[in-house]
Amino acid sequence: MTQYALRIDGERCVGCHACEIACKQENQIPPGNPSWIQVFQVGPDQVGDKLITNYVPTVCRHCRKPQCMEACPVEAITKREDGIVQINADLCIGCKACIEACPFKAPQYNAEKNLVGICTLCVHRVEKGLKPSCAMHCQARAIYFGDPVELDKLLGKEHTANRFKST
Amino acid sequence: MGSEVKVVKSVCRMCHGGCGVLIDVKDGEVVKVEGDPESPISHGTLCGKGLASAQLVNSPLRLKHPLKRIGTRGKGRFQKIGWSEALDIVAGRLKETKQKYGAESVVFAHGTNRDYLHFVHRLANVFGSPNVTSPGYVCYYPRVGASIITCGGFPICDYDHDPSCVVVWGCNPVITNPDEYKAVKLCKVLNRGAKLVVIDPRLTRLASRADLWLQLRPGTDSALALGILNVIIREELYDEEFVQKWTYGFDKLAQRIEKYPPEKVEEITWVPASKIRMAARQYAEVKPACIHWGVKIEQNLNCTSTIRSLIALMTITGNLDTPGGNVLYPSPPVARFTEFMLTDRLSPEQRRKRLGGDEYKLASMGSVVPPMLVCQAILEEDPYPVKVMVVFGSNPLLTWPNAKKVREALMKLEFLVVADLFMTPTAQLADVVLPVASWLEYNDVAAYFFRGGYVLARCKAVEVEECWSDHKIINELGKKLGYEEYFWEDVDQYLDYLLKPSGMTWEELKEKGILQAPMEYKKHRKKGFSTPSRKVELYSTILESWGYDPLPSYVEPPESPISRPDLAAKYPLILTTGGRSPVFFHSEFRQIPWLREVHQYPMVEVHPETAKKHGIHDGDWVFIETPRGRIKQEAKLTIGIHPRVVHAQHAWWYPEKAASGYGWSESNVNILTDNNPPFDPCVGASNLVALLCKIYKAEEGKA
Repeated sequence: MTQYALRIDGERCVGCHACEIACKQENQIPPGNPSWIQVFQVGPDQVGDKLITNYVPTVCRHCRKPQCMEACPVEAITKREDGIVQINADLCIGCKACIEACPFKAPQYNAEKNLVGICTLCVHRVEKGLKPSCAMHCQARAIYFGDPVELDKLLGKEHTANRFKST
Repeated sequence: MGSEVKVVKSVCRMCHGGCGVLIDVKDGEVVKVEGDPESPISHGTLCGKGLASAQLVNSPLRLKHPLKRIGTRGKGRFQKIGWSEALDIVAGRLKETKQKYGAESVVFAHGTNRDYLHFVHRLANVFGSPNVTSPGYVCYYPRVGASIITCGGFPICDYDHDPSCVVVWGCNPVITNPDEYKAVKLCKVLNRGAKLVVIDPRLTRLASRADLWLQLRPGTDSALALGILNVIIREELYDEEFVQKWTYGFDKLAQRIEKYPPEKVEEITWVPASKIRMAARQYAEVKPACIHWGVKIEQNLNCTSTIRSLIALMTITGNLDTPGGNVLYPSPPVARFTEFMLTDRLSPEQRRKRLGGDEYKLASMGSVVPPMLVCQAILEEDPYPVKVMVVFGSNPLLTWPNAKKVREALMKLEFLVVADLFMTPTAQLADVVLPVASWLEYNDVAAYFFRGGYVLARCKAVEVEECWSDHKIINELGKKLGYEEYFWEDVDQYLDYLLKPSGMTWEELKEKGILQAPMEYKKHRKKGFSTPSRKVELYSTILESWGYDPLPSYVEPPESPISRPDLAAKYPLILTTGGRSPVFFHSEFRQIPWLREVHQYPMVEVHPETAKKHGIHDGDWVFIETPRGRIKQEAKLTIGIHPRVVHAQHAWWYPEKAASGYGWSESNVNILTDNNPPFDPCVGASNLVALLCKIYKAEEGKA
């Protein structure tokens, strides 16, 4: 079965935050609550004789062995056959154990609803043959969507060729 | 079961716009706005502002009915009135003022222009006022005007033909999409590996990605450009054939640049001479190369010189009118701008009265009036009194220099009309406030104002209460004033008029989405450049005939450690202003929740060393003070700014503070800027990017 995931080329990201707003609109996340994708600025730092600023978008990687799933005490987290990790809002108790367990701190706590949400890969769009909203709208073309193994290969190649490598 | 979602294909206008969008409408309400994958301009991408458009159109804070002031000006008390009464009041006062003081005492103003600029000028011209003021004197028009007199067109980066080197000068195109440009195309060529040179006092994201970043002292752009020209000419890196055939006054320019050797330019600009040489060689030797310029080169007294120096660079390296260089797009076949504006309806007598017309001839060529001159006419009645101002989509209290003076001037007006989307600090001072439709609420030929070679169909998706487009307001006001022959029965009829030369109707454009003129490169080989000499005028015969220096030069900013050491003793830091936030468009969108939560408060960038000296920590609220006043912003410590420079954000006000005039003076950078000359001699640009200031911690905390 085709597997799906997002991969981000942080060196392309320009820190415009459009992905955050795309995510909020698409997934109807009300104002005041965190988006399921978030961009953090790192730097500027002195690297050799250059000053480098990086932007690091953080989003659920829909891991092969999701640690969040193992950590969830109420089995609200499942992984679909196509690789998409989901949280069942009806089961979630808002304990945040998944956030603790996630190496990327990707799940986002919504205090208003006492629920944790994660990127759904815009599954409702994907099922219609569309890209996730963040990936479609990114002007820097920093967000890739597709099979994780293929994407890792592609990004590995791009990175070796990438002259913007900062380290 | 809910009703069907209707999808309207349109074109965004959250900034100058042009990105294709799909608007989902359900039960007459916008429920979603996303990128249009079929857009030839933006290819499905869309920025945060565009993606938050539904929160603009549906905002509960929108103005929805015309309002009339009750009580004293500035108290913010208004009464709801109907459109007919509102137009009667406005038309009545305009006629009365014209009779009493002359049409020139009515000034029309606009802001960033929701594509209605041509309507404002049309009304002003038939009314007989030569005075239309706008940010145009420091934004876009100087580049257009100076380009037209120098090379007869407007040189734009040709990203469709893979420039191998891009010079981004005073611009942050990945954060804001000015005019003809969309970041998606620039990102594409950078991702493919084009060389990048960035000229900016701040470490922007692009500067951090650049092969070369030239961190210049704010306000010294023309010196740097002349220094780069010096290297290219002295090292004979220029395109000799092109220079011989297609330039006028190269020898005189070559003489002028002798005054700007890299070592001297290093002293002026703080950019090491070695970097100036590297940048010059890279731009001249990697072909094709283009220069992507931004508004920041315009906001100082060397405005015209900087622009003309950059055109000289494009020209002598043979990158002008060449694929992958800076190209001159042909205009699409629509009604000409001056024809639509009815420029010839303004009598020569009235034209002679244009504020600053004699002094700033390049501004006057484009019917642009610098706003400082309007304030002076209101306050000093010099050269004559201005009594009435009609403002479309502008917030002068936030966006004109020396805001305290601006407020004094607005308060002194006999009558002020403001048409806008929201109640703003400026609208709060108005006698009549008119509710404007957002870009999702009317049909329009978009991008008409720009020079990218195309126009686009912006299509109406919804209606909101009694909100009218600026176009409709002007159309109806024009008729009310008795100029029926120049306006349309129904404003939408103007669309067909504008498109007439193309043989296309509005319905056809709507179907097609875009009207584009076929691109032609190297047109100069057939007909030369559209200048008096038919060549690129490095030495400008037009500036010469107007009595200005025909060659570019550098003049020290009037408020700098060099020109005013006395002032620098008290105000030791250089203040630069106006770097862009990805979620705002100048003074707009502080009330849009998804945008404001990305960027909550104004930030002033301070180098950690400087901060340490003043006991300032990251996140502290600090006062920034100049001889004009002081404001508060939140300190952001960064090594991306020079220790002797601070950068403050512009156009900040607080929609949540209605009771205190929306906090218009708390963080407003124009409290700090100067409205006094010297300005750019040709276009009247004021000094917004190089001032002197001091900073200190604000004990009482945030604004």
